[in-house]
Amino acid sequence: MAMITDHILTWVTFVPLLGAVALWLFGRREGPARIFALAVSLVDFVLSLHLWFHFDAARGDDQFVERVAWIGNGQVSYHLGCDGISLVLALLTTFLGPLIILSTWKAITSRVREFLAFFLLLQTAMLGTFLARDMLLFYVFWEAMLIPMYFIIGIWGGQRRIYAAVKFFIFTMVGSVFMLVGILYLFFQSGSMELTSFLNLNLEHNAQLWLFAAFFLAFAIKVPVFPLHTWLPDAHVEAPTAGSVVLAGVLLKMGTYGMLRFAMPLFPQGVAYFAPAVSILAVIGIIYGALVALVQPDIKKLVAYSSVSHLGFVVLGLFSLNSLGVAGGVFQMLAHGLSTGALFLLVGVIYERRHTREISEFGGLAHVMPLYATFFMIATLASIGLPGLAGFVGEFTILLGTFTSEFLPAARVMAILAATGVVLGAFFMLWMVQRVFFGRLANDANKNLPDLSWREVVVLVPLLVFMFVLGVHPGLVLDKVDLSIQKVLAPLEAQLVPHSPAGHAAIPGGGEEGAPAILLVNSDAEDLR
Amino acid sequence: MNDLAIPDFGREIAALLPFLIVAGGGLLVMVTDALVKTLRKDHLSYLVLLVLLSVIVVQTTSGTPEGPVLNGLLLLGNFSRFFTYLFVVIGVLTTIFATGIFDRDGNYRPEFYPLLLFAILGMMVLAAANDLLTVYLGLETMSLATYVLAGGVRGNAPSSEAGFKYLMLGGFSSAFFLMGVAFVYGACGGTGFDQIAAALHSGSAPMPFLTLGTGLMLVGFGFKVAMVPFHMWTPDVYDGAPAYVTGFMATAIKAAGFAILLRFVLLTEPMLAFAWYPVLTVLAVLTMSLGNIVALVQGNIKRMLAWSSIAHAGYLLLGIVAILAPALGGPEMMARAKGIVEEGGAALLFYLVGYALMNLAAFGIINVMGTEPGVDGDQISRYAGLSRRQPVAAATLAVAMLSLAGIPPMVGFMAKFYIFSVVVKAGLIPLAIIGVINSLISVYYYLRVIVVMYMHDTAEDSYQGTEWVSVAAAGLLAFLIIYLGVMPEAFHRGAEIVFRQISF
Repeated sequence: MAMITDHILTWVTFVPLLGAVALWLFGRREGPARIFALAVSLVDFVLSLHLWFHFDAARGDDQFVERVAWIGNGQVSYHLGCDGISLVLALLTTFLGPLIILSTWKAITSRVREFLAFFLLLQTAMLGTFLARDMLLFYVFWEAMLIPMYFIIGIWGGQRRIYAAVKFFIFTMVGSVFMLVGILYLFFQSGSMELTSFLNLNLEHNAQLWLFAAFFLAFAIKVPVFPLHTWLPDAHVEAPTAGSVVLAGVLLKMGTYGMLRFAMPLFPQGVAYFAPAVSILAVIGIIYGALVALVQPDIKKLVAYSSVSHLGFVVLGLFSLNSLGVAGGVFQMLAHGLSTGALFLLVGVIYERRHTREISEFGGLAHVMPLYATFFMIATLASIGLPGLAGFVGEFTILLGTFTSEFLPAARVMAILAATGVVLGAFFMLWMVQRVFFGRLANDANKNLPDLSWREVVVLVPLLVFMFVLGVHPGLVLDKVDLSIQKVLAPLEAQLVPHSPAGHAAIPGGGEEGAPAILLVNSDAEDLR
Repeated sequence: MNDLAIPDFGREIAALLPFLIVAGGGLLVMVTDALVKTLRKDHLSYLVLLVLLSVIVVQTTSGTPEGPVLNGLLLLGNFSRFFTYLFVVIGVLTTIFATGIFDRDGNYRPEFYPLLLFAILGMMVLAAANDLLTVYLGLETMSLATYVLAGGVRGNAPSSEAGFKYLMLGGFSSAFFLMGVAFVYGACGGTGFDQIAAALHSGSAPMPFLTLGTGLMLVGFGFKVAMVPFHMWTPDVYDGAPAYVTGFMATAIKAAGFAILLRFVLLTEPMLAFAWYPVLTVLAVLTMSLGNIVALVQGNIKRMLAWSSIAHAGYLLLGIVAILAPALGGPEMMARAKGIVEEGGAALLFYLVGYALMNLAAFGIINVMGTEPGVDGDQISRYAGLSRRQPVAAATLAVAMLSLAGIPPMVGFMAKFYIFSVVVKAGLIPLAIIGVINSLISVYYYLRVIVVMYMHDTAEDSYQGTEWVSVAAAGLLAFLIIYLGVMPEAFHRGAEIVFRQISF
C-alpha cells in the first residue's frame, strides 16, 4: 500500500496509461476490453479518492508532492503536486472517466479497443496537466492531450469529423507554441522550469505584458474566450458523445485552470493591464454564446454554444480578481463539468435512438420517455442555475464577485450585463426543452422510443446526484479550494499592492501613486450609485 | 602538426581500423558478388551487416586512440566516434529496408551494398576530417557513391533523372567548395584546421580572401544539407530515388553535412560570424519557411518529406546561428558564450539523432508501401485506411509524423525544445518565434498523412502487401522515438560530452 500512497499522484496519472497499453493484449475481443477499460477507470477513480480524503485543506499548498530530476541538472523535473484547485479538477476527471466509458457501450461499435486506448491516454494527459508543477512537464501533458482527442474526433466523429479534428488540433497548437516561447524565455531567466522559480522572477513591465499575452492566448483558445471560440462548435458537433463530454467536462477547464495557475500569478502587471479587456471579452462571450445558442436548430450545437456562455462566466469570475469571484469561477468549472457533461450524454442518448439532433424532429418526448425527460430537465435546471443545484452557486458567486470587484472598471455594469446572460441562458435552454419534450407528440418516428436503459441510468444518476449535492452543500468543494485560491492569488496581490499597477492609465479614475490596485474604487462604479 | 613526424605505425593502424574495415568490407562485398556465383544474393546483405557490426564492436571494445592521426589529417575521438555509430546504425537499417524490398520483389541490386559501404566510409571521413583536403575527400567519396545509389534503378526514368540531377548539381557544389578551399588556403597558408585556426587567431590572414573562401565553402555545405537557395535538387532526388536510398540520404547525408558544418563553424567562429552571420540568419529563416510552405501542397509523400527535410535543415541552421550569435554580442553576451556554444552543439547533435530516428521510421514504412512496380506508390492517398489493414505500420508512421511535427512526448519535441531554448538563450527571440510558427505550419501537412491513414476508408488502389522485417525495424524506431522523447536526458548529456571534444 505504501508503494501506492507514497506515489499516489503518479499512480493516479499513469494508471490509465498502463491500462491503455494493456488493452493491446485483448486482441479483437471487444467485450472484455470494454470491461477492462471500465475497471481501469474505476480503479483510477478509487485512487483519486485517496487524494480527496487525505488532502489537508487547512494548508492549501501543494500536497502529495513528487519530484524527481528529469532533464538538465534538475533544471527540469518530474514534479507533481496537488492543491485544492488541482484536487477538484483531477477528481472531476477521474469521476467522469468510468461514466464516459460506460456511455460508449452501444455508441462506439467500430475499433472499440483503439477508442478505449485513446480515451485512457487522454485521461492520463488531462490528469498530468492538472497535477504538473513543472512548466515543461505541464507543456508536455498539455500538448500530448491533443493526440488522443484528435483521433477520437477524427475517427469516431460525425460527417465533418476530419475538418473538426484538424481545426481543433491546429487552433490549440497556435496558442500553445507561443506559450512555449514564453516558457523558454522564463526558463532562460530563471534557469529552472519550476513553477515556483518562475514566481520568484522580478520581470520587467513590458516582458510581463508580452508573456501574459502569450500565455493568455494559449489558454483563451482552449476555454474558449470570444472571439477564439470558432473551433468549439465544430469539435463538439462532430465529436462522438464521449468526446463531447470529455471536451466540455474537462478539456475546456484546462484553459481556465491554466489562467488561474500560470497566467495570473506569474504576470501580475500583465493581469493589471489586460484584465479590463479580458473581462469585456468574457461578458461578450456570455451574451454572444447565449444569443447564438438561441437560434441553433441542433440540440448538440445549442449545448455547445451554451458552453461558450458558461465558460465566459468562469473567465469573468477569475478576472474579477477577488477571492469571491475566483472561488465562484472554480466552482463553476466543476458545476459546468457536471451539468454540461450530463447534457451531452443526454443528447447522445437521443441521438443513438433517432440519429438526428434537430430540435424540429422532436416534440412531446416526455410522453414516451418520462424518465429521460426528467433527467434532461434536472440537468437543464442545473445548467441555467436554479437555486439548489450546482450551477446556481457558481454563477451567483461569480456575479457577486464581479459586482464587488474593486479592480475592474465598470464592474457593476459588467455584472449586470453578465446577469442578462443568465436570463438569456435560462430562456434558450428552457425553450429548447419545451420544444423537445412538451407539446404534442407529432412525429411518428418518436412514438415508440424506448426510455432510458439501466446502463444509461447508471451513467446519469451519479452526475445528477452531485448536481444536487453541490447545490445544497457547496462548502464541500469550497472548503477544499479556499485556501489554495488565496495561495495562488497571493503573488498577484503582493505584487500589485506595492507597485502602482502599470495598467493605471487603462483604469478610469485610477488611484494615487502607490495606492493598492486591488482596493481602487473606480469612478464608473461610483457614478452608478 | 605540419612537420612530418615519424608516425607511430601501430597507433595509426589501430586508429584507422574502423575506416579500414568499412573500406575493406566494401571491396570484399564487391568481389564476393562478382566471383562467388553460387552465393544467394541475400547473403550479401548478411556480409554487409557483419561488416557494419564489426565496426561497432571494434570501436566499442578497442581503445581507439584519441586526437589527430595521419599527420593531422583526421581528428579522432568522441565526435568522430559518435557519428560513426550514427552512420553505421543508419547503414544497418538501410540494408534491412533495401534487402526486404529486393527479396520481396525478387529484383536484386547487388551493387547497392558496396556503394552503401563506400558512402558510409565517406561520411566517417567527413566527420573525422581535420583538414580541408580530407573534408573534400570525404565529401566526394560520400557523394559519388550516393549519385549512383540514387540513380541506380535501371530502366526507371525518375531514378535516372534523380541520379543525374544530383550528379550535376553536386559537381557544381564541389567546384564551389574547392574554390573556397583555394581561397582559404591562400589566406591562411595551409589547409589543416589547426593552421587555419592559428592564422585566424593571429589575425594575419587577409579578410577579403577569407570571407570569400568561407562563403564559397558554405555554398558547398549548404548544398549537402539542402539549405535554401541550394535546395533545388532535394525534391526531385528524394522523389526519384528508391525510398530506402532516400531514407539514407535524408538522415545520413544530412548528419554528415551538419557534422562538418559544425566543425567548420566552430573553427572559423568569430570570423564567420562577422562576415556571414546576417546571411546565415536570413537563410535559416528562408530554409524553414520555404520548406514548410511548399510541403503543405505536396501530394506525394516522398516529395513532402523532401520539403520537410529542407525545413528541418532550417531548424538545425537556427542552432548554428545561435552558436554564432554570442561572438557578435556585447561583453555580457561573451560571458555566456561558452555555455551557449556547448548547449547549441549538444542540441544540434541531439536533433540530428532524433531526426534520423523519425525519418528512418517514416521511410522504412514508405519503402514497404511504395515499391509495387508500375504504380506511383508514393501518393499519400494510397495510404487510405492503412490503420485497418496494417495497424503496426500505420502507428509507426503516425508516431514518426507526430514526432516530425514536434508534438510531445516524441523525440521531435525534445529536439526542438533544446534548439529553441538555445536560440532564446542567445537572445534571438524573434527567430524562436519564427521557428515555432514554422513548426505550427508543419503540423498541418504531417497530420494529413495521419488523417488519410486513420480517418479515410480504404480506397481501391490502396496498397495491400507488406514486408514484415522492415515494418518491425521501423516499429522499433517508433519505440525509440517515444523513449527518447520521454527520457532525453542521458542521451543529451552524452551529446554534450561528445561536443566538448570539438569546441575549442
